[in-house]
Amino acid sequence: MNFAGLQLESVLADVRRGMIPAHVYGDPEIFALERDRLFARSWVFLAHESEIPEPGDYVVRRVLADSFIVARDESGAVRAMFNMCLHRGMQVCRAEMGNASHFRCPYHAWTYRNDGRLTGLPFHDEAYGGEDGFPRKDQALLPAPAMGIHNGLIFISLDADAPPLPDYLGDFAFYLDFYTRQSTAGVELRGPQRWRIKANWKIGAENFAGDSYHTPHTHASVVDIGLFREPKASKRKEGALYVAGPGAGTTYKLPPGGDFAGQLRYVGYPDAMIPAMGAAWSAQQRALIADSGFMVSAATLFPNLSLVHNWPQIDDSGTVVPFISLRQWQPVSQRETEVLSWFAVDAAAPEEFKRNSYKAYLMCFGSSGMFEQDDVENWVSITDMAAGSMARRLNLNSRMGLTSAGQPIKPPLDAFAGPGVAYQGFGEFNQRHWLRQWSDHLEREK
Amino acid sequence: MKPLPYTDPAHQAAHQFLVEEAALLDAADYAGWLDLLCEDIRYLMPVRVTTARGAGFDALADMGHFDEDMYALRKRVQRLATDHAWTEDPPSRTRHFVSNVRTFRNGGVELRVESALLLFRSRGDTREADLVSAGRTDVLRETAAGLRLARREILVDEAVLRTQNLAVFL
Repeated sequence: MNFAGLQLESVLADVRRGMIPAHVYGDPEIFALERDRLFARSWVFLAHESEIPEPGDYVVRRVLADSFIVARDESGAVRAMFNMCLHRGMQVCRAEMGNASHFRCPYHAWTYRNDGRLTGLPFHDEAYGGEDGFPRKDQALLPAPAMGIHNGLIFISLDADAPPLPDYLGDFAFYLDFYTRQSTAGVELRGPQRWRIKANWKIGAENFAGDSYHTPHTHASVVDIGLFREPKASKRKEGALYVAGPGAGTTYKLPPGGDFAGQLRYVGYPDAMIPAMGAAWSAQQRALIADSGFMVSAATLFPNLSLVHNWPQIDDSGTVVPFISLRQWQPVSQRETEVLSWFAVDAAAPEEFKRNSYKAYLMCFGSSGMFEQDDVENWVSITDMAAGSMARRLNLNSRMGLTSAGQPIKPPLDAFAGPGVAYQGFGEFNQRHWLRQWSDHLEREK
Repeated sequence: MKPLPYTDPAHQAAHQFLVEEAALLDAADYAGWLDLLCEDIRYLMPVRVTTARGAGFDALADMGHFDEDMYALRKRVQRLATDHAWTEDPPSRTRHFVSNVRTFRNGGVELRVESALLLFRSRGDTREADLVSAGRTDVLRETAAGLRLARREILVDEAVLRTQNLAVFL
C-alpha cells in the first residue's frame, strides 16, 4: 500500500511535456483513474463480426471487470449485452464462445434470447403473481451503453454519450483499412491467443503506436537468424511515423520505383489478391503505397487495440509472406495485462496464402512469437521497476524528436499521402500523442 | 485401442525417449533436441477455450499457440542461440515433468504416445514461477537412428496462459 498521494495535476503536466513519471506504469491510484475516467468512457474493441458469423454465435469479452456477451441474434444483428442476470446477478454465460439460441442463468433459470430479451421466468404466476408483480415484457440483459461497428470491428463504450464511432475513429479509419479491408470481403479473425503478462497495459499500447526505435535492438535476434529479407535495423529509421485521429502508427519505407502492384508483391501479396486491394482502397490509400512509398506496420488505436503488419520469410527458399495481427491489451491491474492476439487475414484470400500468412504470424507474434517474446520481457521488467518508491523520483524522457523548445527536430513529411501528421525517422511523436489522450481522459472528472 | 503393457519393449523405449527429451530441454540443449525430430515434424499446440459442456469442442481448430514445421522450429532454436534473445537471457530454469505415459501401436513403424507434462519455469529472483500443465499426443517413428518425434500435439490445460511467453518447448 502506498500513501504517497497522487499529485494528478503535476503528473499530467509532466506527461504532457514528454517527461513521464515512471510510477504511472505501476500505480494503483492511476489504475483506478484509468478504470473510472478512461475505460468508463472510451470506445473499446470487443470482437470482430467474423468471430460470430452465424445466428446464435457468440463470444464473451470484457472491458476490464465488465463481461459482455457479443452475440449475433436470430435476425443477424450483432448485440453486446452485459453478462449479468437481471435477477440475482449471476454471470449468465460462462463459456467464452459457442452458439446458442438462449442463455439460461444457472441460478434460477431466468432465460434470455440471444438478442438479450428475457423470455423464461420460472413460476412467473406463482412467484410474482404474473405480469402484475413482475412485468416480464421489455426486460432484457443490459445492452452496452453504446455500440458501433467499423469494417466488422465491434466496439462498445460504457458511456451512452460517447461520440458516434465514425467520429471517434476519424482519420485513423484511413489506416484501419490496410489491416481490416483488403477486399470487399473484409477480414476474418482467428483466435485469440490469450495469455497474462505481469506488465502494465499502457506499455504495449505505446510501443505499438510508434516505437520504431526499439526494433534494431530489442528484435536484433530475428535479424540475426535471417527471418527477414533485409536488415530491419537500418530499414526502421527510413520509415514514417504518423498520427491520425485517435490512432498512430509506424510504416516501413518501400524500395524506390515500385508501382502499387509491385510494392504489394514486394511484401509478399500474391497477384490473386492485388486487384481486390486496389479496388477496396481509395486513390489516396493506394498513393500512400505507390507514390509515398510507405507500407503500414505497427499501430495503436487509443486506448488498447493494436495492429501489426509485417512480412517475414517463411521457408528456406526465402518466400516472403505478410501477416496481420490485431491485439488487445486488456488491463487486469496496474501490474498485470491479459493479451488477446488475433491472426487476421483477408476473407477472400487464397487458401494457400491464408496458410502461409498464419505461419508467418505464429513465428513473429502472439504467445510464442519471436518478436513478442522479447517485447514482453521489456514490458514486464519496466512494470517491476515502476512499482517502487524510487520510480516516483524518476521522469522517463519521452521527448525523442523534439528540441529543448519543444519543436520537432525536422519538419513533418510533405510526401505522405495519408491523413494526419507524419515524420520520417525515429521519434516519440506517436507515444506522446497516445499519452496526451490518456492525460485528457484522466483529468476529466465528468 | 488398449495401451501396450508397461513391460512391452516398445512402451519402454517410448517412455525413455520422452524422459531423455525432457533432459535435453531442461539442459537447454536445443540443438540436441532438434536431432530428435523428424524432418517432416508437425509441432502443434491448439488454443484451448472454455465452452459449454456439449459444445463439442474445447480447443480451436484453426488457431494454435504453436503450429510449427522444421523450418520454424530451427528458427526458434537459432534465435535462442543468438546473443540477443533477451527473454531467455538470463535463462529460465525449467523442469519438464513427464508422466502418465501410454503407448499405442499405430501399425507400421510409428507409435502413438500420450503423456502428461507439467512444466515448471522460474526466471529471475523475484518473479513468481510459472506452471504449464498439458497433455501431449506424440507420434514416434522408428528410424535407423532410433525413435524420432514425427508429430506432437500439446493440449494445454489453460484457456489463458499464465506464462509470459512460449520461449520454451513443451
